[in-house]
Amino acid sequence: MTLQLQHVTKKYKDFIAVDDLNFTIEKGEIFGLIGQNGAGKTTTFRLILDLQETTAGTIMWNGKPVNSINRDVLGYLPEERGIFPTMKVEEQLYFFGELRGMKKAELKKEIDFWIARFDLEEKRKDKAETLSKGNQQKVQLIASFIHKPQFLILDEPFSGLDPLNKDLLKDAILLLKDQGTTILFSSHQMDNVEELCDHLCLLKRGVSLFSGSLLDLKKQYGKTKLAVRSDWSTTELLKLEGVKDVHVEKEQTVLMLEDERFAQSIFNQLSNGKYIEKFSLDYLTLDEIFKDKVGGSVVEV
Amino acid sequence: MSKFNLLMKQLYMSKIKSKSFVLMTLLYLAIMSVAIFWSDIKELFTGDDEAQKIAIINDTTADLSGIFVSNGDMEFVQNETNKDVLVKQVEDGEIAAIVEVNDKDGQLHAEIATFTPLKLNDQSTISSLLQYAGQHYAVQQLSLSPEQAAQIMAAETIITNKNLDESTADGKSEEEKQAGQFVSYAVGILIYFFISTFLSMITTEIASEKGSRAMEMLLVSVKPSTHFKAKIAGVLLLAITQMVIIFGVFSLYAKFAKDGVIWDMAASIIQDLSIGYLIYVVVFLLSTIVLYLIVGALFGSLVSKVEEAGQVLMPAMMVTLVGFYVMLSGMGNPDTIVIKVFSYIPFTSGMIMPMRIGATDIGVIEPMLSLGLLIATIVVVYVFSLSFYKRSVLTYSTGGVIQKIKTVLKVTT
Repeated sequence: MTLQLQHVTKKYKDFIAVDDLNFTIEKGEIFGLIGQNGAGKTTTFRLILDLQETTAGTIMWNGKPVNSINRDVLGYLPEERGIFPTMKVEEQLYFFGELRGMKKAELKKEIDFWIARFDLEEKRKDKAETLSKGNQQKVQLIASFIHKPQFLILDEPFSGLDPLNKDLLKDAILLLKDQGTTILFSSHQMDNVEELCDHLCLLKRGVSLFSGSLLDLKKQYGKTKLAVRSDWSTTELLKLEGVKDVHVEKEQTVLMLEDERFAQSIFNQLSNGKYIEKFSLDYLTLDEIFKDKVGGSVVEV
Repeated sequence: MSKFNLLMKQLYMSKIKSKSFVLMTLLYLAIMSVAIFWSDIKELFTGDDEAQKIAIINDTTADLSGIFVSNGDMEFVQNETNKDVLVKQVEDGEIAAIVEVNDKDGQLHAEIATFTPLKLNDQSTISSLLQYAGQHYAVQQLSLSPEQAAQIMAAETIITNKNLDESTADGKSEEEKQAGQFVSYAVGILIYFFISTFLSMITTEIASEKGSRAMEMLLVSVKPSTHFKAKIAGVLLLAITQMVIIFGVFSLYAKFAKDGVIWDMAASIIQDLSIGYLIYVVVFLLSTIVLYLIVGALFGSLVSKVEEAGQVLMPAMMVTLVGFYVMLSGMGNPDTIVIKVFSYIPFTSGMIMPMRIGATDIGVIEPMLSLGLLIATIVVVYVFSLSFYKRSVLTYSTGGVIQKIKTVLKVTT
């Protein structure tokens, strides 16, 4: 149960949307596709879903090309919210479920479960257009996986949700994972990606900057973020060996190191054998890595 | 249920309950009812009107009282002599007009005197009565026997047609042509209204699915070609439903209203026409609708939101309008070159060819050729639309129709 992209390329007349993309998603894994707007995330999804044709490369699901598989094993939540405005919530879910080859009886159980879980019981008989944006999104989300797909693609599932609903969604994603669903999702919000993903792919203008496990990505950068609380001034700190950059945050000063190995000597100098209030060495957050990777003007592969 | 059936059923069920479909159907039925019961409705509005009083002063020796017979609209006061009293009455509004007839060199001369001008309808009625009275008077002056006079007044030329070209056995009689023209006219109007209604229905349906982005959700599970076919089939089914309702109600009216007079009339019209003609009409009607539905679906897939649907529909609507007016021009003379040309153009032939078949002497080849062209066009447009639809239905772009087509070609090749 794996999805495998090999040398996937999508060229248009005057630009390349996706350029030689390679990654593999194992069964039951949550895989994050991250990148700025226009990085090629939605195009990649559409290529996987066979909504668009690749210019080159292959996309395989369990060893078979995706355009030859039964489409009902796939589930998709598009980035733009789209449901039938005048159809009732419940009818909508039945419709999408039946369209995916489910029987009414099986659907009833699923629909009851998810409607209760997403707190939509009162809205069951309401027309979709009368619902709040967040609720519409929940309905669409349920519609995207009501048929229990083996592979689910979620394009920006968190945008527009309040913190409570975000948690509901996270729980749902984890539940689906437990049930064996393989999930691919995109997000601008790195904290969600960090929390949910096992593996990820970082896209910039159609080019993959990194593809692999989150830990590997962090290890690439190493533990180079050092947070300290001391009475040293920033100029003094900058003079220390191995310090690239210093900036003051609310209650701490953050030093960016050239390499992890400089930490020991910095600790010795700062503490000088005495008590020190804060000295914490850590990996960069995904957010910081993302900014570093994507912020650079040169595309490095 | 297959995906095709599910999509078609969903479209059909949601549209058949929609206000626009119900209102449109009711409107057709209302128009039909008004047409059928027109005389009763007119009675309702005009029945209470008082008949206009018209005074006749006959200065000739002839008896014309048999000609001016009072009816619901007009009451004739005969053989008045005192003109001054009448003039006063006209001024007071008691009498609408004075018609004074006298002899001038053996011809009848009439003067209509009014205080307020007569209504157009009354004026033309009086004029035609006076024309008839004039002929009658002239005949009376010839001092013929009553039989001879009656013969002249009832004179009518009996015309029979004889076709010397034996290869085209029997030409149509004038009666047949008139029946054909009448039915074709009705069919033309029906096609025009049906096209306008269902063309915009399919375009807005697809445009709204695209605009609300439900399209992406659908196309993940359904192939674009299946979606395309299901939409066309669903709307076609709606069109057929509406036709059946209209035809059903018409049959009920015809059979039961006015003691079946309309039924007999319809039966005689159908008798004048051939079964072949009716089949042609139905085939042309359905083919034309299918052609426009394919075009409508394609147009719907081009727009990015439902508000733009009107913009892309414009060209197609113009074409139907042209066809409609050409058909109307054919009501006067169905043999013009314009009619002939438009009866072969696939987008208008459905409105015009049935009229040519019904109202003119036309061989077997021409309608077959026109129908062949129409069906060939449907096939070509269908194949093209199907491949284009796959590419356009998920492409969102701005600008006019041409710009949109360019964008689709740019981002999908």
